Amino acid sequence: MKEFEAVVNVKLKDTIKDIKAQTLEQAVHNLIPVKNLKCRVGSRYSIKFEANDKKEAERIIKTIADEILSNSVIEEYEILW
Amino acid sequence: MVKAGIITFLGTNCERDTKQALDFLGWNTEFIWQNDKIEKHYDVIFLPGGFSFGDHISSGRIAKLTPAVKSLPVGKSLIVGICNGFQILTEAGLLSGALTHNENLHFISKVTDLEFQNGIIRLPIAHHQGNYTGKNGEEIIMRYKTNINGSDDRIAGIYDRKNKIIGLMPHPERAVFEESGLTDGRKVFEFIKNEI
Repeated sequence: MKEFEAVVNVKLKDTIKDIKAQTLEQAVHNLIPVKNLKCRVGSRYSIKFEANDKKEAERIIKTIADEILSNSVIEEYEILW
Repeated sequence: MVKAGIITFLGTNCERDTKQALDFLGWNTEFIWQNDKIEKHYDVIFLPGGFSFGDHISSGRIAKLTPAVKSLPVGKSLIVGICNGFQILTEAGLLSGALTHNENLHFISKVTDLEFQNGIIRLPIAHHQGNYTGKNGEEIIMRYKTNINGSDDRIAGIYDRKNKIIGLMPHPERAVFEESGLTDGRKVFEFIKNEI
């Protein structure tokens, strides 16, 4: 078995209104003048685990991301190794 | 007599309110623990309100993986998710769409007017993620009179008649006893009873 570590970044799809990002943008404008500010807010998960090979590791992390870390109706994610 | 099961998850806090309301209405009720497979027959199964698994990751996300939810007798029993129960049903893919954070980012806890069965009823709401979006085929059975949380089409409740699954954000179980000052929840339970 080999040890793997993946980082999963989850954020709302661009088609879903990101209310937390709007709040962040408002706060930034109150803090400092910024032009063309565009924010998106999401979550970052760091996951360590063991698997036989990279292929199995990818299958495991995709299942976790699909079923627990994100909701495909409103969110999208990226996996970084 | 209506036989109702009420699923209890870690963090559920409306199971006793639901049981007391249903007992008062003369239904035969019992609790179902999250880790038990549902093997008995119930006319209706409630997923009550609360904060299952502390709302971690997202409301309802973890509860969808419990044995009780995975063994829900879809199409056989009427399934009713109230508030967090509605969130669990969408997360499980048993109802379409998703419940996102309220548009004003506030936790909203108040009594509000709702359009229900060609009339107006008053029920309590108490949620942070009640902003419904993405309905796909279900019937709208309840609407907020005003757009209180940003939901598409002021949606407060939907019904998948084919699979007999209802999702409601408001709390009818908190509006049954005269002492609470609200009794319109009885109309909602009467509707549910008629759909069994």
